[in-house]
Formats: sequence, structure tokens, C-alpha cells
Amino acid sequence: MADLLQLLLAGASVGAVYALTALGFVAVYTVSQVVNLAQGEFAALAGLVAISAVGGGLPLPAVVVLAVGTVVIVAAVMQRLTIAPVKRMTTLLSIILTLGVSTTLKAAMLLIWGAEGRGLTPFGGHDLTVAGVSVQAQQLWILGVTAVVAVAVGWFYERTLAGKALRACAEQPTAARLVGISIARASLLSFVIAGLLGAVAGVLASPIYFSAWDSGLALGLKGFVAATLGGLTSVRGAIAGGLVLGVLESLVAGYVDSGLRDAVAFVVLIAVLVIRPGGVLRQRAAAGI
Amino acid sequence: MTGARRGELPAFAALALLLAVFPLVAPDSVVNVGVYALTYGLAAIGLTLLMGLAGQVSLGQAAFFAVGGYGQALLVTRYEVPMVVAAGASVGLAMLVALLVGLPLLRLRGHYLALATLGLGIIVTVAATESSYLGATSGLYGVGKPAFGGRRYDSPAEYFWLLAPVVFVALLVARNVVAGRVGRALGAVNDSEVAAECLGVNTFRLRLQVFVLSAGYAGLAGVAYVHWIGVVNPNAANFPLSVEFLLMSVLGGLGSVWGAVVGAFAVELLDEGLRYGIPLVIPDAVGEVQLIGFGVVLTAVILFIPGGLHQIVKRMSRRPTPPTEDPTVPAEDDSPLLPRTGRPEPGTVLLEVRDLTRHFGGVTAVDGVSFDVAAGEILALIGPNGAGKTTCFNMISGVLAPSAGSVRLGGERIDGRKPHVFARHRATRTFQNLQIFRSATVRGNVAVGRHLRSRAGMLRGALVLPARGEERRLHERADDLLALVGLTAEADRPAADLPFGRQRLLEIARALAVEPDLLLLDEPMAGLSGGERRELVRLLRRLRAGGMAVVLVEHDVEAVLALADRVAVLDDGRLIALGKPDEVRTDPAVVTAYLGVDA
Amino acid sequence: MVGTRGVGTVAAIAALLVAAGGCAEKSGTTGTGNNTGPIRIGAVLDITGAGASLGVPERMTLEMLTSQVNEAGGVNGRKIELITEDNRSTEDGAAKAMNVMLSRNVDIVIGASRTGPSLAMRPLAESNNVPMISLAANAKIVEGAKWTFKTAQNDSAVLQNIVDHAKSKGWKKVGLLRDSSGFGEGVAETLNELGKPSGISVVATEKFAPDATEFTAQLINLRNARADMNLIWGIPPAAALAQKAYQQLGITTPVMQSHGIGNQVFLETAGTAGDGLVAPLGRLVVADQLPDSDPQKQVLTKFLVDYDRTYRARPSTFAGHAYDAFQLAVEAFKAAGTDRQKVRDHLERVKGFVGVTGVFTMTPDNHSGLGKDALVMVTVNAGSWQILPGR
Repeated sequence: MADLLQLLLAGASVGAVYALTALGFVAVYTVSQVVNLAQGEFAALAGLVAISAVGGGLPLPAVVVLAVGTVVIVAAVMQRLTIAPVKRMTTLLSIILTLGVSTTLKAAMLLIWGAEGRGLTPFGGHDLTVAGVSVQAQQLWILGVTAVVAVAVGWFYERTLAGKALRACAEQPTAARLVGISIARASLLSFVIAGLLGAVAGVLASPIYFSAWDSGLALGLKGFVAATLGGLTSVRGAIAGGLVLGVLESLVAGYVDSGLRDAVAFVVLIAVLVIRPGGVLRQRAAAGI
Repeated sequence: MTGARRGELPAFAALALLLAVFPLVAPDSVVNVGVYALTYGLAAIGLTLLMGLAGQVSLGQAAFFAVGGYGQALLVTRYEVPMVVAAGASVGLAMLVALLVGLPLLRLRGHYLALATLGLGIIVTVAATESSYLGATSGLYGVGKPAFGGRRYDSPAEYFWLLAPVVFVALLVARNVVAGRVGRALGAVNDSEVAAECLGVNTFRLRLQVFVLSAGYAGLAGVAYVHWIGVVNPNAANFPLSVEFLLMSVLGGLGSVWGAVVGAFAVELLDEGLRYGIPLVIPDAVGEVQLIGFGVVLTAVILFIPGGLHQIVKRMSRRPTPPTEDPTVPAEDDSPLLPRTGRPEPGTVLLEVRDLTRHFGGVTAVDGVSFDVAAGEILALIGPNGAGKTTCFNMISGVLAPSAGSVRLGGERIDGRKPHVFARHRATRTFQNLQIFRSATVRGNVAVGRHLRSRAGMLRGALVLPARGEERRLHERADDLLALVGLTAEADRPAADLPFGRQRLLEIARALAVEPDLLLLDEPMAGLSGGERRELVRLLRRLRAGGMAVVLVEHDVEAVLALADRVAVLDDGRLIALGKPDEVRTDPAVVTAYLGVDA
Repeated sequence: MVGTRGVGTVAAIAALLVAAGGCAEKSGTTGTGNNTGPIRIGAVLDITGAGASLGVPERMTLEMLTSQVNEAGGVNGRKIELITEDNRSTEDGAAKAMNVMLSRNVDIVIGASRTGPSLAMRPLAESNNVPMISLAANAKIVEGAKWTFKTAQNDSAVLQNIVDHAKSKGWKKVGLLRDSSGFGEGVAETLNELGKPSGISVVATEKFAPDATEFTAQLINLRNARADMNLIWGIPPAAALAQKAYQQLGITTPVMQSHGIGNQVFLETAGTAGDGLVAPLGRLVVADQLPDSDPQKQVLTKFLVDYDRTYRARPSTFAGHAYDAFQLAVEAFKAAGTDRQKVRDHLERVKGFVGVTGVFTMTPDNHSGLGKDALVMVTVNAGSWQILPGR
């Protein structure tokens, strides 16, 4: 029993990081139907910036602000330089463009920080053991902050004007334009939000899961799988998807074979897509023909 | 078409010559790079076919590369199968894997397919790592250099000469696929999937074929790789390699299979250059530093030259198209058009629509509509804006699945089936919002309409010879149809250059190419001049005389009443009247709902 | 349509041309036995890519040694020319680099840094009759080889030390947590084989990816296996993170690690969690603690001093592999000139050659030449390496 709880805790902790990444995908996808393959790099970048800032002697709150700020700027610049100029965005274009940005960011991180992975100093607090389950303080930080962010994001999309406007863009682009919402600004805002979420994920995860120039790839892919599980446009779905995926990975590694951990996400992805061939998304009506 | 092919002649010759002399003139180290460029170029050709032709992004091309490589290594080292036989089997294996994963995956659209193929790459990597049969992480090694007739191809130059003809033939095959029936259909799918489907193109099937072919190319590249390196391990299925293939395709130009090979050379040289150059600028740079160049080039090419190197070459050699002279007016002729033996007798019911209903969210766009259409009659569907006319068309033609009700064509239920099934039952349609294949010529558009009336499949198209006669007949037929709508002079122009009204006529000619028994026309008169309208009316009458059934949605009510045998009036999704023009004209419900405003 | 037929003609011409070109045989390179001019040492190393942390110090070592030899007047009056090629840590890169070496007509090839690339180079060395000294560990590299040698310890030498340690403590059941990449492959099998006489066997095997950061699942299974000792087999940072997680989960079973952890990164990442672990390591990390009677003490001290003087840094174990390969090559050149056959024959007869990694004795059946005494048992105490007392 203690083993199961320990595995669930480990899974939930990883899953929370996936969930935050998945939220980043959802933020961008709902507005512009772009799957941002650089989402994972946002997290890696935030982690590395934070590690350097700690090395420079900054206190934790300043470190967080600096890391998140840097990534938000990078995300905004990415949107302006690569997404905004494209007049007719197709799936093919969006994949190649974001893949290009992701590769560039990775290489830039490699040149700046080198190849070695490293971890941020934990945020603080004491590790404890409850009912035979050892709990790291950082795991509590991850779960707690993710919960707060999830509530905040849900509130943003459902209760604030800006959030509603973003959703309107996704559901009714023409109508959104008619009531004066600029798709271009909405897209920029969505990238800023994605950058913010990615950065939070990166800083939170770094003390346990480490940050390296190439750690964004796996994280980004799993975040995407989590987002897909949840429907790719749903905030709650993304969070649930992330947690489910994290726990599933942990259980497979514990009870089946630890070598299969990294394949779990993709087997799940393909299985879900095959069982629901139209994609998890509802098909759009072929209106206007 | 012919012009384009003649333009390719010097390209072929130059390429053949270049490949033959390259190892003689280039220094050894560059020839060495060339061997890799050829090897990876094969995989990139496959990816170009998939992306350029089928419009599908694969981030897992390396998975098939690895399958080919592993298959070859296994057969050659463990079972001592002769190299050529093993190569055939390995390529076949890669294609089989593609077929098995393609069946479910290609039903997915866009992002899902890309990510699912990426996942496939990771799954192949994990599977190879976990399998001791495949040598786990060390992989399989000890694959020898090929030897034919006592000659071992073991220096870079030798291997280059061995590979060059393979790549050359691979290019020919790829180009024939692009230029043939399958390529034309898929090109049309990229421009407008719905229009291509309505002309009988089975999108899924063709995409699957191209996916499998593309995997075959990757598998062949894997075979070439493993014989040169001697080792294959799980890294062969890695994501970075898939990205490299993607970069080669994109850089070369997605529209061009030549580009893939040029792109492969460019990427390999860029790779070498960056690895050499970056440490000079940043002394302590280690690791995969060349990625920065890859990323920047990938992004920049897509943003600034989306057609890649191919586009640059094309732009430099492009001559302006001469402006067309006044359209030739077809001779006044009222004889029956396009009759067909085996077509149902005039008066036989072809299309039966029963209780057709469609909801969008809470709105009911079409509500319980029923009507029949018989061979040799013109039925007009009229009604105010938003009455549900186009939605009816969409449901009949399979573009949209009905919420309730049925559609029968020649007695067979087709509601909810894909549009290509509709076309297969000898029925097709045009579109209110024009769905011209913008990247094809005017004649090319009509040629897509002949898709179901021609047979050359992937294999026959690839080998070109048997398909050539068919292509010639197809072009003659297309020219006949263009003459009918007065577009003869514009046959070789890009379709996108035509004015709006003439694009409508082109859509009609394209639809006629299907040789349909039932033709649905969605606002065919919109944008036409007075003269063109008169010609169109004459054309429709001649088609009716030939026994075709025509259903048209039209706003020009007077023209419709003069032309149609029967008129159906829709208002707010419901059928409010159906009868002869004179009856409908005086129907009180119609007058209130619609004509009253107009008349 | 004329165009298409034309293309066919061109294709035929092209095929002829290609065939003709193929017949224009290039004169092969022979280049053995040239006893004048500089001696060419080719180095194919993992300078960029995943193996960069190995290849970079190896290159630095080779460069340092080359200039040392040349400043001292060369080998038999001939200067050494070092030709370095990056294999990008990939198999195709290694094969590509090896082809460059062959065309440059080198007298010996050193490399690659890791197993995969080394395996890709070996057939080229064997079929072109060029001596090659790999710096990677896997015994497969030299299995049945004629021209290929290596300087890193075989896994079996490391595992023999672990088995001996377990035996001395009376441990029978071993839980294994290993790297899922090539480094960790075959460990369980070898350990079972070596442990058989003493009744030592692996009772549970768990794996982790080289870039893993999450070990809960594996360690829980290991804990439940209730082995007498657990062996973590990997390289930092993963090996260090696994060590940390081990402590965090409160597992009290004694833990051993492999020779993969012998660097500063491990100590920094593991922190206090590393205290008390035991691992067989090369003597390089504990050179200053060795008694003067140790046969390697002198070589080690000189290497440490030279490296520090040149680069202001401490050399890694991998740098040591490169040091040994270079010195073995130089000694062969001194004795046999640059006739490739003679160099190979000399390398195969090396006996009692004292290097940084160990004392080498090669035979036709053993192209690795190191035994279990190439390693010493080391423990971690307050964040630094210490030779395990009592051995």
C-alpha cells in the first residue's frame, strides 16, 4: 500500500509538470490552431535561467520573476517573428515553424549553458515521511503551485473579459472580429500565457527533474499527449490529462517494466487517436462551402 | 504538362552527369559527405512525396529508416540472405510497417498525424533498445560492404557510384508519381480536399499509398546506410534524424523531388560547416552545435522562401505567361451533349432524398426535406439566403453527414458516406465558394475530373510507360470539355489567374469530366456576364437532352424559372413548394416567403 | 511527350556514364612501411554530441602528449602529426571520420570515445589493416579482433571487484539498477556469471534512461526485492540522482556503484547522499592517496601534474584512456617503426605496460589487457573519494 501511494505521489508530481505544459499547448491551440512544439523549450529555458540567477546570488522570488519574465519575452518575440507574419497558417507550416524555433532555442541553450543537465536549489521546507511514504518538500511545492495556477487559469478563461475574448477567437473567429477582438493580439496574448505557464513548469520542476538544453523535447511531447488526452482545447482536460499520464507512467514503470516508461505516452496517444479516429476533438462542421 | 517535362530534360541530364563525375573531381572528404547526402536524400525524397504531395507532416521518417536498416542488418548478418534479396525484403518490411500504422494514423488530421509519427519514432527506438534479438543498445553490427561480381564497393567514391544510379532511378519513380494520375489527384487534394473528393478522389486511400511509398524510400535509405556504416542501433530511429530529413525536404522545396536530393547535399554540407565553424567562434562550444543553424534555416526557409531552393530556381527561369486573347465563342449548337450508354432512361428516378435533416448546435438548418430527381430533368433549388440550399447539397454529396433522413442514388443509400463514394455513383457537384485547384493549370483542373475515368495506379504511374497512352487520351478529353465552356485558349494558364466568372465555368467543365449522370450546380450563374449566362443555359439544356440530371441552386430566379423543369423552394430549412415553374410562381406560400419580396 | 522519352534516353546515358565512372578505378592507398616523415596518429573522438564530456578531455590529452613528444624530439627522430576528427557521437559520424583517416593514410587510429562509434569504426580498421585503439569500455569492441585494441577496463574487470567485495561482506543477493543504454547492457548477465562460484546472483534488475530524473518506481521494486546489497550502474548526473532518491526513500541496504561515477559531477550532484557508497574506480581519482609502492603512482602523478600545468584542471578517467592509448602507440612506433603489421604485432605483445588506467598485458586473445587490479575500491566520505580501508 505504501508502495502504491509512493508511486502515485511520484506520478502526480511528474503529472503536475505535464499538466502545466499541456495548459501551455491549450492556450496557444485554442486561439490559432497551432501546436507549439517549442512549449517544452520554454520550460527548459526557464529552469536554466533560474539556475544561473541562483548562481548569481539572487533570492528565490527574484529568480522566479527573472526566469518567467525571460521566457515570456522569448515567447512573445517568437510569436511576432514567426507566427504573426504568416498570412495563411497551415498545419504543415505551423509544425515546421515551431519545430524550427524549438531547434533554435535548444541550440542556443546548448551554446549558453553547455550540455550538462543541472538542478535548481529546492524552494525550501523539510522532506517528511507520512505513513511510510517519503514526501519531498519540492513535490509539495509542485503540486501546490500547479493547483493554484490551474484555478487561476480556469478563472481567467471563464470569468475575465480577456479570457472570454480568447475563447471567442477559438470558437467563432468571424464573430470575434466583428465585436472588435483582434486575432493578432489574441494570438500574441496566447503565446505570452503559454510562455508564462511553460516557465512556471520549468522553474518548479528543475529542482527534482533537472534542466538541460534538450530536456524540453520529452517534456513538450508528453505535455502535448496530456493536452490531447484532455481534448486539446480544455483547461480541465489538460490538467486531468497531465495527471493521468504522469500516474500511468509511474505505475507502468513500477509494475510492468521501467524501460517502457518513455513509450507509455506515445502508446497512449496512438491508442486514443485510433480508438477515436476523428481525433479527440469534435470535428468542425464543413461550413461555408 | 509537356512543356514542364521538356524543361526537366536538361535537369535530368545535368543531374546524371553531376552524379557520375562528382567522385572524380571532389576531394575524398567531400565524396564521403556525398555518400551520406545520397543515402539521406533517399529518405528525404520519400518525405517530400509525403509532405508535398499528400500534405502530411511526418516527424517519424527515421522510424522507417531504422526499420529498413534493422531488417537488412538482421537478414544479412544473421540469416545470410543475399544482399539484393535482403534489400527488397527490408524495403518491403518498412512499407508493411507503414501500412499497418498508416491505416489508423492517416485517418488523423494535421497535428495529430505529425505527433503520432513522432511517437512512432520513439516507440521504435524503445522497442529496439529493449529487444535483445535486435542487439539492444549496441544494435546489430558486422554488416559488410556490398560486393558484386568480385568488386567491393568500399571506398567513398565506389559507394557513391553504387548509390548514384539507385538514387537516380528513385528520383525518376518519384517524379513519375508526382506527374501522373496519383500525383495530380493529391495535388488537387492539397488545394481543395472537398472538391477533389467530389470528383471521386479517395483521399484516404491515396494518402495511405503515398505514406507507404514514402516509408519505402526511407527503408531503402536505411539499407544503404547500414551497408556503408556496418552498424545500426536504436539511434537510427531518433527524432533528430527525422528533423534532419524534414530540413532536407523543406530546404530543397516541398514541391520538388529534385529538391530533396539537393536539400540533402545542402544540409550535409551545412552540418559539416557548422560543426567546423561554430567552435571557431565560440571556443568552448560542445555538443550538437549545428542545431542552431538547422533551426534558423528551417524557420527562415519557411518564412521567406516556402518553396525552398526549388522555388528560387523556378523563379529565375520562369517566363511570363502571355495574356490570352478574347475567348472563342463556341458555335451555336443545340445537339444533345455527353450522352452515355448505360445511363438510366430519361424519367427514371436517380436521386431520392427523404426527410433530410441537419442540426448545427441548436439550429436546424435543414428540416425534413424530401424530393426526387429523374434522369434528363433540371431541378432548381431556390430560396432566400440561409434557407439551407447549400447544406442540402453538402448532405447529398457526402460533404456533410445528415442528422437524420436518407439519400439514395440509383437506389443505393449514400448518406454519411464520403464524397468520393458519391462521385463513384456517377454524380458530382460544383461549389458556391469556388474550389478551384489553384496550383494546377486550367487543363490540369479538368484532368483531375477524369480521375475515375482513368486507371493508372501508383505502380503503373511510377513506371510511366503503360500510363502514357492513357494520359494522352485524358488530355484530349479535357480539351474537348474546355471547348464546351469556351476556355480552350486558357487551357495552359494557371487556374488561379482566371477571372471569377471563368473559374465558375472551369468548375463546371471539371465536373463534366466525371461524366456524371447527376450534376449538382451551386449558383453556377454568379459572376457570369450576360453572354456567358446564355451560353451556360444552352449548355445545360444540351446536357439535359443528353439524359443528364441537373440540380441547381440559383439566385437568379427568372433565369431558373425559364430553364428548370421543376422547382423546389426552401424556406428556413423546410421545403415549402415543389412543382413546375408556373405552379411555383403562383404558390401563395412561395410568394409570401420569397418571390413576393422580389417581384 | 517527346520530353518523357528524352528523359529515358538521358537516363540510359547517365547509367552508362555512371558505370564508366565506376570503372575508372582510383588507385588505392597502401602507405604501409613508410619510415620517413612525420608519424600520423589519427584520433576519432566524440567531440560534439552526447559523448562530448568524454571526447573533449581525450582530445586535450592527446594534444598535450603530442606536443610533449615533439618538443622532446619526436619518436626515433620523427615528429608526430595528430589528426583529430569529430565523430559527433554518432555511428555514421564515426564511419565518416574513419574514412577520412584512411584517406589521410594514418599510421594508427585512436578512438572512438564510446562503444557505438567504436563498433562502427572497427570493420573499417580490420578490413583496411589499420591498427586501432578504442577508448570505450564494451568488450565486444575487441572480441575476435585482429587490428583493434582498447584501453578502458572491461565491465567484467569492474564486476569482478564488485563480486569480490560482496563476497567479503557475505552478500549473496544483488539488486541491480542499471543504465538502459549501452553502458548498462549485459551487466546482470556478467555479474551472475562471475558470482556463480560464490553463490552471488542478481535477484532484481531495474533500468533507467541515461537522462532519467525520476527513480521512484525502480527503487520501490528494488526495495521490495530485499537484496543483501544494491548496485547502481550508471553515469552522472543520473547515477547521482538515483543515489539521492535511494537515500530519500530511506532504503538502508548497502549500495555500490560502478566505475562510471569517477568524477566531480557525481560528488556535487549526490551531495551527502553519496556518503558510504562503495565503488571500484580507476586509480586516477585517488592518486594522491596511493602508497608510493603502487606501480602506477609515478605515471599517475606525472599525468596529473602535466595536465594541471597545461589546462589548470584535473583530468578525467576518460582522459586517462586517451593517455594510455597514445603511450601504447608511441611505444609501438619506437619499437617497430610505422609498418602497420609490425605495430599491430607489437601491440599484441605488450606486457606489463604501466598506464594511467592500469597495467596492460595484451595477448592475441586479449586485446584489452587489463585485469581486475586496474581498479581500487573507493568509498565516499564527506563528499570526497577515499580508498576503502583494509584493501
